[in-house]
Amino acid sequence: MAQLEEHQNIVHKICRLYTNDSDAHNDLFQEITIQLWKAYPKFRGDAKFSTWMYRVALNTAITLYRKSKRTVQTQDYESVSFKVSSEAYDPTVEDQLKLMYNAVKTLSDVDKALVFLYLENKNYREIADTLGITEVNARVKMNRIKEKLRTILNP
Amino acid sequence: MDELEILKKEWQSREQEFPKLTSKEIYPMLLKKSSSMVKWIFYISIAEMILWTTLYFLVPESSKKFQEGMGLNAIFMWINIFNYGVVFVFVYLFYKNHQKIQVTNTVKELMANILRTRKTVHYFVYYNIGMAAILMFSVNLYYYFNKDKLYHILKSDEFYSAVPPETFITLNAIGGLIIIGFLILFYWVIYGLLLRRLKKNYKELKKIEV
Repeated sequence: MAQLEEHQNIVHKICRLYTNDSDAHNDLFQEITIQLWKAYPKFRGDAKFSTWMYRVALNTAITLYRKSKRTVQTQDYESVSFKVSSEAYDPTVEDQLKLMYNAVKTLSDVDKALVFLYLENKNYREIADTLGITEVNARVKMNRIKEKLRTILNP
Repeated sequence: MDELEILKKEWQSREQEFPKLTSKEIYPMLLKKSSSMVKWIFYISIAEMILWTTLYFLVPESSKKFQEGMGLNAIFMWINIFNYGVVFVFVYLFYKNHQKIQVTNTVKELMANILRTRKTVHYFVYYNIGMAAILMFSVNLYYYFNKDKLYHILKSDEFYSAVPPETFITLNAIGGLIIIGFLILFYWVIYGLLLRRLKKNYKELKKIEV
């Protein structure tokens, strides 16, 4: 439980990428927590807890989670997550980030997973291991995604 | 990609914006029910297997009388024994495949394992629908070639005495076709909905490897 508490940001970040409002975010957060809890007895400690967590959390977000049918749009998550907290506020960077983030959100579930692991500073070996593809293909795919994002941002 | 690099930098630095839940807040979440797709697929698959297996027991009395009168009892008994054997094999395969589904698999493995488990159940259903269709067709054919016998039984039955044998065979065949058509539609809709996203993602992951 302590480890879960410590690494909860990983789950939050995945939820932010795969959901559009705070209700869905909480829903997915809960589902991932349940899955992690259920899978924990099988955690052998031969990998880092966070690495193991990436796998379970992404599996839940992409495959196991059934999107809630609730259509009521509550608070827009973006407005919260991109709230400017820094004193060095740069509107250009802020706008650019928001555009970039929105572009990432338009990607497919699988592409999002790759981008997420990339943003988490994982190397291609780890990305490949989490998704179950080869390292070379992970690299090729990531380059294609970057290309795709570039096209979205500069049509 | 400059923008993605900027996002990467910001991504790490903005973690403090997320709500920090304590163990006390996380714990109640664990007690809530999971809405995992695997759980749903498991329940639906079990329900299907039970449904199809119990359907064999639900043959109406009138139909049994018919089979007996038409001399089909022995063959139906053999078909039933064969069916139970097939059900057993399917239940075993389903169990084995379901065991392989682990949330700690790689993303691709997990998807493949779920799809394989579902396929087992699909084949079970195809087998049943196919078997039902073949049986229906053969029985009606048999009735057709043994019209005299059929006519005799129909006449002795209060309920069916007013129905001419030809009409009986036609109605029987049409009824069977409607039921089979309905079943196919039902499966197509239910599983299409349940597995669409998973199939799409799996296809995409497989495409990366080509």
